Amino acid sequence: MTKSDDDIIDALFAQARTQSPAVPDDLMARVLADAADMLVQPVAAPKPRLWPTFLDLIGGWPSVGGLAMAGVAGIWVGIAPPASVATWTADLIGSPVSIDLLGDTSDYFAEGLLDG
Amino acid sequence: MTTQLGSWRDAPDAALLLAYAQGDMDAARVLTARVLPRILAQATRMLSDQAEAEDVSQDALMRLWKIAPDWRQDEAQVTTWLYRVTANLCTDRLRKRRNVPLDEIAEPADPQRSAPGQIQDKARYSALSDALAQMPERQALAVSLRHLEGLPNPEIAEVMDISLRSVESLTARGKRALMDILQGRKAELGYDDD
Repeated sequence: MTKSDDDIIDALFAQARTQSPAVPDDLMARVLADAADMLVQPVAAPKPRLWPTFLDLIGGWPSVGGLAMAGVAGIWVGIAPPASVATWTADLIGSPVSIDLLGDTSDYFAEGLLDG
Repeated sequence: MTTQLGSWRDAPDAALLLAYAQGDMDAARVLTARVLPRILAQATRMLSDQAEAEDVSQDALMRLWKIAPDWRQDEAQVTTWLYRVTANLCTDRLRKRRNVPLDEIAEPADPQRSAPGQIQDKARYSALSDALAQMPERQALAVSLRHLEGLPNPEIAEVMDISLRSVESLTARGKRALMDILQGRKAELGYDDD
């Protein structure tokens, strides 16, 4: 009796499933040698870098942009202060005052030095 | 050392792999002894070539050692991952055979092939492997996992990362394609004489 295609293929699968070759010693040795070679050694933690740490502290690049803008504005105000700034500082700290610490004694010292 | 090996005996595969990643070669030995026979059998059934099957097994485990430090226990089972890698490595090898005419494929060396029964067996395994090589890759993969490895459909779905419905479709179409390819080699298979 001729077997059907299904029977043939099932018989072929069943027979193929029985293939379970023993692991040769040299294959086991090669695999374990690979494992030893690939073994990852503990790696020292990388030293933290200053710039990224600083960036993290201040909140990243957007904060750097804000800082740069504030710096430029500060320099500009220093070079060409608007009139309102001068008035405001005068109100705050008053007008500049000169104080002569030596007063009239300066003439005395000058004469003493000249006379020897 | 024996004590250490013994302590790993009942450990899950993933625990062994993680211990290996921490530098424990005893864990690697236990894991290798556990999975290598299965990988070698899978590769042998798909490729029907002992030397190629050994190369694939070594390659699959090399990939496992490489991924060990990044292995996440909750992701997949080690065996599922190995089924997938081994099957893919075998499929790559089968693909290369497509470009080689069948009569140019060298007969693998086999010192025990003199017995007529073994020659017949070898012819059957080669016919099956050659047929898998001619099939669409995903069908060949599904058929080999279902019918050669005997995996249940849900596990095949996990190995191939596809739905159950796709597994059913691929295995059914794959089996039909395999039968069509083997039509011309029925006599060679010799089952009518059994």
